[in-house]
Amino acid sequence: MKRFIRIFSNGLIRENPLLMLMIGLCSALAVTTATANGLGMGLSMTFVLLMSEIVISSFRKLIPESIRIPIFIIVIAAFTTIIDYVLKAYFPDLSKAMGVFIPLIVVNCIIMGRVEGFASKKPLRDAIPDALGMGLGYTWVLTGISAIRELLGNGTILNIRIMPDSYQPILFFVLSPGGFFVFSLFIAFNLWLKSRLKPLEEEQA
Amino acid sequence: MKNMVKLGFIMAIYATVACVSLAFVYAGTQKVIAERQKADLEAALKDLFPQGESFEEVTGTLQSPDSSVSFKNEYVIKQGGTPIGMAVRAVGASYGGPVTVLIGVGTEGKIAGVKVLENKDTPGLGANAANPSYFVDRASGITFYGQFKGKSLSDPFEVKGDVIAITASTITSKAVTRVVKTAGQAAGTWLAAQTGGSK
Amino acid sequence: MTLFKIFISAFLIDNVILMRFLALCPFIGMSSDEDKSVGMGLAVIFVTLLATSATWPLYHFVLKPLGLEFLQILVFILIIAALVQLVEFYLKKSAPALYASMGIYLALITTNCAILAVTFDNISKGYNFAESLVYAFGVASGFMLSLLLLAGVRNRIKTSPIPAFLKGTPILFVAASLLSMAFMGFSGLVK
Repeated sequence: MKRFIRIFSNGLIRENPLLMLMIGLCSALAVTTATANGLGMGLSMTFVLLMSEIVISSFRKLIPESIRIPIFIIVIAAFTTIIDYVLKAYFPDLSKAMGVFIPLIVVNCIIMGRVEGFASKKPLRDAIPDALGMGLGYTWVLTGISAIRELLGNGTILNIRIMPDSYQPILFFVLSPGGFFVFSLFIAFNLWLKSRLKPLEEEQA
Repeated sequence: MKNMVKLGFIMAIYATVACVSLAFVYAGTQKVIAERQKADLEAALKDLFPQGESFEEVTGTLQSPDSSVSFKNEYVIKQGGTPIGMAVRAVGASYGGPVTVLIGVGTEGKIAGVKVLENKDTPGLGANAANPSYFVDRASGITFYGQFKGKSLSDPFEVKGDVIAITASTITSKAVTRVVKTAGQAAGTWLAAQTGGSK
Repeated sequence: MTLFKIFISAFLIDNVILMRFLALCPFIGMSSDEDKSVGMGLAVIFVTLLATSATWPLYHFVLKPLGLEFLQILVFILIIAALVQLVEFYLKKSAPALYASMGIYLALITTNCAILAVTFDNISKGYNFAESLVYAFGVASGFMLSLLLLAGVRNRIKTSPIPAFLKGTPILFVAASLLSMAFMGFSGLVK
């Protein structure tokens, strides 16, 4: 159990894919104009990551080394297609809002990176928490960025008006430049957090 | 050589399993998608023609005189068996891809209403064609597509003339207007011929 | 839209990196100097054009007629991966110096979201073959342009005073934010 939690929390904070490892950025900025989109994208990506890691970890002994990359691609692409059609059928508004970024989950560096570097070498009991941790780590950052962008740029979160009516939405935040800007602040904050945690970790070690 | 064949075979197995599973998921979701599209269409038609009781699909009745606008579906809306209007689902080329519009025409040569069903234009710009919170006339609360309601089919349909454009999105405004004009006029002419003939 | 309008929209107005947020990893990773940016840019232009030439006909003449549209994601990404492998193989044999100087970025082109996005856009925007190629060229050139711009900015950042909490990656994103704002000014260009 402890091992599960350790691997799980790794993806959430210590090796957060977006803030620490700086991979999988594309979708992170484009879909974060509204909290619902950020959350939806995060959960969709987590689904693809989880299923891909499960399949590849379970079959890792049956995947020949030399053709592993194409096989990983086949597995990831299959699950991406599945989530694409499931969203189209059951969450059409979300699907339309995220547009081409759902199919783009297949080239999300986080998924390929974890599958190649982790799931193909570790047993299922390690692959599952890793996928959940990385996926949810991705999701919380995405949701956080979208909440800020939606709040400042639209006055709402999940379409519920939070700011007082007199608040004039700052359009900047829901447009492209705002995305880059909010993200830079997130990274700066995370670097600061990392520098504060480092001495603590070194003390413990 | 033998090794390559073996590898190719293994890859083929993975690929086949993937394709077959995808085929199943696709088939399953297509049903749901088709049902919902039908429900959405009924809701849209009801919105354009509140007094309409039934609608009959008559796709193929109208021909688009403009090669850049294609008519996908046509429906006759009836109340108590008498046609009270016609709706056309038409597609035209817009800025970021095709735009799908539903145009409702009443029997007096006026547009009953317009709905922009699908468009791939830039959010915040051209995509406002379908946005119910984007007003071309803030004071009266008229949306871009709302301005066509009650419009006479004999109007010039010129953007920045009798049609108010979406700010900084002239291409999208012109594209939607063109589709509305083409489909509206075709439907209006057909309807007039029908009701004129049944006198 | 005419071919020229398609090109300008893809190149400037809907710039793939600064307006659509695609291909960010190479944007941050490869823009450290102008030479690397040019190299990466040209490679991406080449692969994008090749990918379009392969995926567009495959979709319209095979997938669609056979009702196999649901295989689009799978097939397109495999084609791009295969193309990149072929390009790598060919370069290694015939231009080893170029291959060596490109190093890892060649393999990374496979995961370049911009290229896959272009192949998808060609289909969803209903472009014909010529329009698709122009669009692909526009997007990839816009990619190179953005990379070059950021490389130029990075040169200046090296000699400028930056507040401590923004040092490193954050200031790059702030720079990108400003570039993006500048590009928004292009939005009225195509009427």
